[in-house]
Amino acid sequence: MLKVENVRKAYGEVTVLDGVDLAIAPGEVVSILGSSGSGKSTLIRCINGLERLNAGRITVDDFDVSKPKELAEARKRSGTVFQLFNLYPHMSVLKNITLAPIEVLKTARPEAEAIARKLLESVGLADRADAYPAQLSGGQRQRVGICRALAMQPRYLLLDEVTSALDPEMTAEVLAILAKLAAQGTTMLFVTHEIEFAREISDRIVFLDKGRLVVDLPTDRFFAADGGRAQPRVAQFLSRMRKD
Amino acid sequence: MRFSDFTSYDLILLAQGLGTNIALFLVTSLIGLLIGLSWALVRFYRVPVLAQIVTFLSELLKNSPVLVQLFLVFFGLPALLHIRVTPVTAATITLSANTAAFVYVIAVSAIEAIEREQVEAARVFGLTRWQVLRHIVAPQAAAFAVGPLVALMVNQLQVTSLISVIGVVDLTKIGHILNMRTLKPFVVWTAVGLLYYGAAKLVALLGERLETRLRAHSAWRGL
Repeated sequence: MLKVENVRKAYGEVTVLDGVDLAIAPGEVVSILGSSGSGKSTLIRCINGLERLNAGRITVDDFDVSKPKELAEARKRSGTVFQLFNLYPHMSVLKNITLAPIEVLKTARPEAEAIARKLLESVGLADRADAYPAQLSGGQRQRVGICRALAMQPRYLLLDEVTSALDPEMTAEVLAILAKLAAQGTTMLFVTHEIEFAREISDRIVFLDKGRLVVDLPTDRFFAADGGRAQPRVAQFLSRMRKD
Repeated sequence: MRFSDFTSYDLILLAQGLGTNIALFLVTSLIGLLIGLSWALVRFYRVPVLAQIVTFLSELLKNSPVLVQLFLVFFGLPALLHIRVTPVTAATITLSANTAAFVYVIAVSAIEAIEREQVEAARVFGLTRWQVLRHIVAPQAAAFAVGPLVALMVNQLQVTSLISVIGVVDLTKIGHILNMRTLKPFVVWTAVGLLYYGAAKLVALLGERLETRLRAHSAWRGL
């Protein structure tokens, strides 16, 4: 279980997260929607321990990310895919993927490489293992980013606007992979602007507005007129995002 | 004083002088590199108090003339502490500290040139700060820093000529001696200048090879 309890995060005077509660059970796909600046990415950064909480608690399988001794365990259980890929530019694709398994999980190199190659094959990049990030397209880089996260065999996959820096064609490449992962039962927390896609793959959708979690509903209820749409902010957001 | 013409022995004198400069350069560069890098580590690990001291020291060292520092160590320290400081010791201390200050600045800016996002990614995947330094920061920072470091080394080699002022018999001092004896300043200082030039060029060439080597194994031309 990944639990976010009454989390508050502020940068100086600006409150970015204001008492957020959220729980994700293994096997669930939860999408987080919300306008820019609503705190979606900050929430992900809090869960993987990149930001210190001002109040509240986040636990990943009961490991508290605010406790330095438990953070390492918590981080082993979650894998993050970043908006701007954040690959290591001086390492080949294969090394990008195997670094953490070898260093953190102490997996033997041949085994780590075998896993990496299998992952690359599953995202259609089997032949790019020795390429460097600069030689790849954005979509390919993000697919490597996904492999890098999956190589740690995380129980929870955190996806932070993973298609926001990609053009529509590359977005489709990446979303196809995410759909496959969702179908395989991967637990995902999916921060996105791709509403239609979120609707297809999510079990639940939560909506953040100005740092507050205003809606947390099963996907079909979220889009229902008497469900999520009953919230004026959600209705306004959906109507702006969809061009219908 | 009797003036006399050049002899073949003068070539040996010049070579000895150059040898002194090169030896001092190598020793102080090595010490300076080690100290400068350890200061950069102190800053990387944000060691409280020590990090501030290191920054202050490097500021002090790089914003005052090396010659003044040399005088302070050679004349000032013995007067204050009542110890004997030989010219070679004074030169070694001063040039090592000066090199360290500039190595520190170069190392810090090379580390800062690495995108924070990469470091964050590595941390999120559970790498320790040491593992991040070893696998992510150091290799990239080295590639960033090698150019400026080579430029620094070329400069420091020439700065070694200052030690002639406190009586170390280096190439410049030999130049003085030969000049006094032969009264042919144009020939003497041209020869001395060319020897420095040759040595500096050698350092630059070696540095260039190192640079291509550091960047060769990676195809990331985007930097």
